[in-house]
Amino acid sequence: MDFSETAERISRKFQKSGHTIDPKKIEVKLRRLIEEFGVQPSEAERSVTNDLAKEFNIPQMGTTGGAGKSGSATEPKKIADVSPEEWVTIEGKVVALSSPGSPAIAQSGIIADESGSIRFVAWAKSNAPIMTIGSWYKIESAVVDDFKGIASLKIHSGTTVKECETDGALVPSTIPVVNLHPGVGSVRAKVIQEWDTTHERMLQSGILGDETGTIKFVIWKEPGKEKLTVGSVYNIFYALVDEFNGRLSLNLNTATIMQDDGDIQVSGGNAAVRGALVHIAPGSGIIKRCPVDGCNRALSRQNYCPVHEIQPRFIYDLRIKGWLDDGEKTHNILLQRDVVESLTGITLDAAKEIAENNPLGMDEVFLQMRDKMLGRYVTCHGREIDNRLLVNSCKRLTFESSEHAALLNRAGGAP
Amino acid sequence: MSSNAREIGRREGAFEREPARRVFASELRECRYDFKEGMDEKSPTFVLLPTGERCNRIFIVGTLTEKQRQGDQNIFYRGRVVDPTGTFFIMAGSYQPEAMQQLAKIDAPAFVAVIGKPSIYRKDETSAPMVSVRVESINIVDKDTRDLWVLDTAARTLDRIEKFKTSSEPDVTKAKEIYPAIDLGVFRRMSYDALAQIKI
Repeated sequence: MDFSETAERISRKFQKSGHTIDPKKIEVKLRRLIEEFGVQPSEAERSVTNDLAKEFNIPQMGTTGGAGKSGSATEPKKIADVSPEEWVTIEGKVVALSSPGSPAIAQSGIIADESGSIRFVAWAKSNAPIMTIGSWYKIESAVVDDFKGIASLKIHSGTTVKECETDGALVPSTIPVVNLHPGVGSVRAKVIQEWDTTHERMLQSGILGDETGTIKFVIWKEPGKEKLTVGSVYNIFYALVDEFNGRLSLNLNTATIMQDDGDIQVSGGNAAVRGALVHIAPGSGIIKRCPVDGCNRALSRQNYCPVHEIQPRFIYDLRIKGWLDDGEKTHNILLQRDVVESLTGITLDAAKEIAENNPLGMDEVFLQMRDKMLGRYVTCHGREIDNRLLVNSCKRLTFESSEHAALLNRAGGAP
Repeated sequence: MSSNAREIGRREGAFEREPARRVFASELRECRYDFKEGMDEKSPTFVLLPTGERCNRIFIVGTLTEKQRQGDQNIFYRGRVVDPTGTFFIMAGSYQPEAMQQLAKIDAPAFVAVIGKPSIYRKDETSAPMVSVRVESINIVDKDTRDLWVLDTAARTLDRIEKFKTSSEPDVTKAKEIYPAIDLGVFRRMSYDALAQIKI
């Protein structure tokens, strides 16, 4: 087992209060507790932290822990340290309010301190004072629960909420996109792509990314909300991180957003896969799209759009969906019109001509493209999002005699 | 509950299609161990290659030399696809109507690319196992694609042979147990011979 990460974390905690402790020493302590005494890793971390805190005379370093649900309800806690099913007291700043989704809720939003942030809900029945954005509050005896896997602070009738004099400015630290988890998150990221909105209440949706990964984002229509610009970098503080079907997405309605002058090399932006096209999926070839402004969905054979119903004045488009296989992994790929045209040599106009005059219609385009591409070796460059490679360029592979010679040497070498 | 629901969601989101392995005919011919991962009826079946890799799907490019229509009620097609090392036996039945129609359309001889699922058959208890490939897709390709496939397959085969010596992965260990008599040097020479057949 590796304890270096935990040890680093503890060491960093003490670094903040001016004590330098060798992570190696912490590691020894952790290892002893976990390996010799069979202590749970989380419990070991807490116990080592408390131990060291005692040694340096720092009060309230780790959590008092162990006592569980009731023990420390009145001692103020760092937000980062709270865990579900605890009664806690915290001091924090209200950094976001969102419109409550139910009359049973008086207020909901995000509260933060230097250590982190958490979603909160104040029940209407709690009679808690109305909190305002930017003010600090001490919230005593609230309950942390776990709603859909997201920790959230519940302010109920037994909770005391007091405004504090504190007027500290909070500078939240952003984390890599890949480290986001359901709850609240702050990132510095670039808008890579904007999608057509799929709902009339939606202001904007698309993809954000940084050096470590990409994530879907959404902004709902609300007064004062503005669209983000594709290609710009933003510091996004306190966005809601939601999980749906195992995928994360960022709701930016609660977030404080500041444009940043820098640029980011977004990861996955230039994935290259070389392999054989092992499947051309139905829905490839020539397709019809919904002409309604901002819709652009693929229509069924009967020109039916799932949202705008029958659309006889559709727009033709080309695409190839399929699987590119390198023998180790199979990549789901999507080729847009220009890539399809240059790869198959069939232009949109030529495809239209076939679709309208051939007895097989659109199927004929699919068959011609499949016959040209299935089983062929290609190299695709593009952006990998959610296991799907959005291809910017795709070229047929050519036989390289240097590769041939190198392989002959490799196979003929000493066994 | 909630964490359980999330796990299921992840699994669905993380669906991975089984990759199509590259293997020469004379290696595939040696296979005689197949197994199922998981208890589910729809769990994938794998054939274990002597070089220590499981495959549920393979990608082959070769020459279709023979094609035969068989059966009266249940029509199916059999074919032989030849690579530089030997012959693959392919078949497509009415359960794969598209593959069957594709195969029906092709006249031998032709260079073809085949994506399919290998499986092991025995005529009866005592007879030697036969490996055949159930076609998912088949398509006519050019000679360049065939040559690229030989390079690709030789490289993948050599990768597996090199990994075999040092790896302690379960599949490699299992292959050593199932195929104790097979000397991987044979497959190295086979790869060399296959490469040498390509004229520059």
